[in-house]
Amino acid sequence: MRRRLAPLAAAGIAVLALAACTAGTEDAPRLGAKPSGAASALPAATIELWHGFSADHEVKAFEDAVAGFRKKFPQITVKLVKAVEDDKIIQAVRAGQPPDVASSFSTDNVAQFCKTGMFQDLNPVIAQDGVDIGVLPQVVQNYTQFEGKRCVMPLLADAYGLYYNKKLMKGHEPPKTLSELTRLAKELTVRDSEGNIEVAGFMPSTQYYEHSISHLGTMVGGKWYNPDGTSAIGSDPAWKQLLTWQKELIDWYGHDKLEKFRKGLGQEWSADNPFHVGKVAMAIDGEWRNAMIALDAKDLDYGTAPVPVADDKPQLYGGGFISGTIIGIPRGAKNPQAAWELVKYLTTDTDGLVTLSNALRNVPTTKASLASPALKKDANFQTALDVFAHPASFSLPAHINSVYNQEAFAEFVVKWESGAVTDLDAGLAEVDKTINDKLKLAGG
Amino acid sequence: MAITVPPGGAPRAARPRGEGRKALLWASPWLIGFGLFFAYPLAATVYFSFHRYDLFSLEFIGLDNYRHLLGDDRAHTAMRNTLWLVAFMVPAQTVFALGVAQLLTRLKAGAGFFRTVFYLPSLVPMVAGTVAFVFILNPATGPVNQALALLGVTGPDWFGDPAWAKPGLTLLAMWGAGNTVVIFLAALLDVPRHLYEAAAIDGAGAWRQFRDITLPTISPVIMFSAVTGVIYALQYFTQAMVAARVASGVTDSPGSSFVPGYPEGATLTLPQWLFHQGFRDFTMGYACVLALVMFAASTLLTLVLLRRFSAFTADGEGS
Amino acid sequence: MSVTAAPAARGARPAAPGVASARARAALYWIARHAIAVALAIMFLGPLAFVALTALMTDRQALTADLWPDSWNWGNFAEVFERAPLLRWLGNTMLYAGLSTAFMLLSSIPVAYALARFRFRGRNLAFFGVIAMMMLPPQVVAVPIYLVWARFELTGTLWPLILPMLLGDAFSIFLLRQFLVTIPREYTDAAKVDGCSDLRVLLKVVLPMARPAIAAVALFGFFYCWNDYYGPLLYTSTAPEQWTLSLGLASFRSLHSVQWNLTMAATLLVMAPVIIVFFFAQRVFIEGVTLTGVKG
Repeated sequence: MRRRLAPLAAAGIAVLALAACTAGTEDAPRLGAKPSGAASALPAATIELWHGFSADHEVKAFEDAVAGFRKKFPQITVKLVKAVEDDKIIQAVRAGQPPDVASSFSTDNVAQFCKTGMFQDLNPVIAQDGVDIGVLPQVVQNYTQFEGKRCVMPLLADAYGLYYNKKLMKGHEPPKTLSELTRLAKELTVRDSEGNIEVAGFMPSTQYYEHSISHLGTMVGGKWYNPDGTSAIGSDPAWKQLLTWQKELIDWYGHDKLEKFRKGLGQEWSADNPFHVGKVAMAIDGEWRNAMIALDAKDLDYGTAPVPVADDKPQLYGGGFISGTIIGIPRGAKNPQAAWELVKYLTTDTDGLVTLSNALRNVPTTKASLASPALKKDANFQTALDVFAHPASFSLPAHINSVYNQEAFAEFVVKWESGAVTDLDAGLAEVDKTINDKLKLAGG
Repeated sequence: MAITVPPGGAPRAARPRGEGRKALLWASPWLIGFGLFFAYPLAATVYFSFHRYDLFSLEFIGLDNYRHLLGDDRAHTAMRNTLWLVAFMVPAQTVFALGVAQLLTRLKAGAGFFRTVFYLPSLVPMVAGTVAFVFILNPATGPVNQALALLGVTGPDWFGDPAWAKPGLTLLAMWGAGNTVVIFLAALLDVPRHLYEAAAIDGAGAWRQFRDITLPTISPVIMFSAVTGVIYALQYFTQAMVAARVASGVTDSPGSSFVPGYPEGATLTLPQWLFHQGFRDFTMGYACVLALVMFAASTLLTLVLLRRFSAFTADGEGS
Repeated sequence: MSVTAAPAARGARPAAPGVASARARAALYWIARHAIAVALAIMFLGPLAFVALTALMTDRQALTADLWPDSWNWGNFAEVFERAPLLRWLGNTMLYAGLSTAFMLLSSIPVAYALARFRFRGRNLAFFGVIAMMMLPPQVVAVPIYLVWARFELTGTLWPLILPMLLGDAFSIFLLRQFLVTIPREYTDAAKVDGCSDLRVLLKVVLPMARPAIAAVALFGFFYCWNDYYGPLLYTSTAPEQWTLSLGLASFRSLHSVQWNLTMAATLLVMAPVIIVFFFAQRVFIEGVTLTGVKG
């Protein structure tokens, strides 16, 4: 039995290995192989765009944004496929059956997309078509490239700020520094007779919705990486400053009380969000919160401001965390030229961007679209636009292990919050080691 | 592997030889499947485990992936959790399913209704079922802890407490044990009634009947349930991930990725870690090492179980 | 959840004298058994009640601390039908589950029979091979196998999930084998003495006796496919016209959040047909047991 089985299996493997090797190598035209001429010179084609949006109004917004492109290039048929996640894109590219254009909600994979060549480098066509990358704010330029390759373009962005409940603020102005934040957080907190928290001034826990360590990091300007990609977390004193400040506030609340309060809170994306229902006075959140409040908590009287910053770093004030949706052309796309025209249109055409932004309530990514009079905005949304354009704003640098590194740090911080860490320096050094080991494994 | 040693010791030599060829013919479609869906992926996994493989390019790195496993704390946590599930969830689920099946054989009124109700949870899509479970066990608002409070017991924090998250998952597994219940039920109904009658005449009580007649007769099925249970526990993925995600309240948004294993790594299982390493961190070579660890653990545990059951497994050969 | 005590509850006390007291005891046991069953049933139905209640809530109330809907939104079910091509998904699911189950039975029964009855060198090894097929983590296996199907340009369809069933399914082979070995050899040997071929023995003697096991395997196979999420996700997620019901379930969401009320309503709609299938199937399959009268 064993003897008969072995050759059979071996034959099977050989055949299949052969199949695997040839999959996806039929040469698809490469981007920039042919200079593109006038719009009308582009041959007729059908291109497929995969995106992650799935709710009806989101899908419709995307259709509307593409409508302008269809008018400009009537010979190109655009087929939109909704609700596609990164895994699926990777797999399709790997199998040699990618869409012409793909978009992702997360910037986490940009480094991998560029490094592996999974998405095509856009630099040649950008140069060829004379697209001015300068229309993008610097921070956005940064998170859409890796080691000199620009393999994706930004589609829309998220900008984070401080949301405050005006009624609960008791007439106070939003805090600008960490010490003001601490003072206000304590003052605005309401407890019952047993010391249980009823209203929290500010949640210092990184497990509270958008208070992740990378979002809080903008308050102290914490640096993630050294130029060679190794971890800078242990060596940048800013992180220690942040964690020490955070722990002090946690201890003031009492870790147990804080956890009990946190676990009793409503879901982040539901109408029960604690900021909506007045259970927290101040919270860090993305610009989308405006749209959610308009939908779920119309009567909430709130304001927005940039996040407070370390007392000794006033130059950071005005900035905040930034991230965004990206879009690019996968390797092996069948119509890269038409695909590039679509990417170019979606990411640089002011009308298209404004249409999308107005429908989805995300920040548009070019300077022209930010300034467009057609962009719907109020004072609260304006804060997000200002944060987005601020030079001190920060996004997670592209790194091949971006998610892994965030998790490693986040996991340590949770331990730190609980008081299980006695030596902060040693703990941060351990985080460095975890990140660096992984970098070595991935061959960064 | 002495699993099929006939209890009676039937004279093998008396049988005509040559059933090997026949068996090969009968099993030939499966043999192709074995090559295609087992041998080939296994070979590929072993091959990748010696490479740096980001799903696009391959680079030989010898034993580096294996070496990395030694220093990967979270992989160790994941292994411990997975072993916990094998050691506690599988027996709990098996014993519980056997108990329910036994109960079902003795129900007269509404038997069809009860059989359907106990099977129902297996029909609930995993994600929806897990979400429902987490909400029902919510420490503040869930009915379980409210009911416990009425009895004067302070319920645990279930999926929010590292000590209770895995027992919570075990309850979920027991709830969804319908398949195993049905298999046991079919086996129990198959036990020849005259054996019980004979035993009753000999004065054997219910427990002795169960131990001396029921258990040995259905032991091939118990073995099946134990082996598939162990394999299933080693591959435990979706429920742990969904429960952790829902309980933590964190949804992926830029810059705040969900850390698997909430709370404090208590629900991080090996397949979850493997999935993350392979598809989120693009270190497929290392993920393959983890896969081989899982495969080795499955093989080892299965062999132990097969050996254990060989003592009283009838395979019909001897009868 | 102290049901594990159920077998013990049937207690091993010596029979009490007197017919009347024996009858009383039997009645007590009857009540105890049914009481346990009812209590268990309530616990088993709890999470389902949660699903049903959520299905009737507004989007905003779903997954809040409330367990009881503020208003009963029966319209959610209508909305599911409006928003999603349920019939198309149903058709795809039927195709996937039906063909897979048929193929699985066709290919797995002979293998299970060979493993249970034929004597040959390497039988234990082959048996272990069947079990081993379940052991490779699906997450890893998916990569090489996906490439094969991509090579045949079958990704984007359900065939990569259906066709392998022609080559035997490890779980089913294992389960069937475990039931087939319990069939006493006298039956098959007797048929063979009468001059039946192996195939005839399988069809005329073994299959009727193994009907409950086959019914169970078929049900599991069918339900597995019915609820399979990752398989269809892997192969058809970018081809919406090929979606199955379980994949469609995940489509009631927006950028940041899932619309749980609609998801749960759709969940109930997806479950309803299989619950009915099971309710009738379980009776047939219990009858099957009593009909064959088995080995007594």
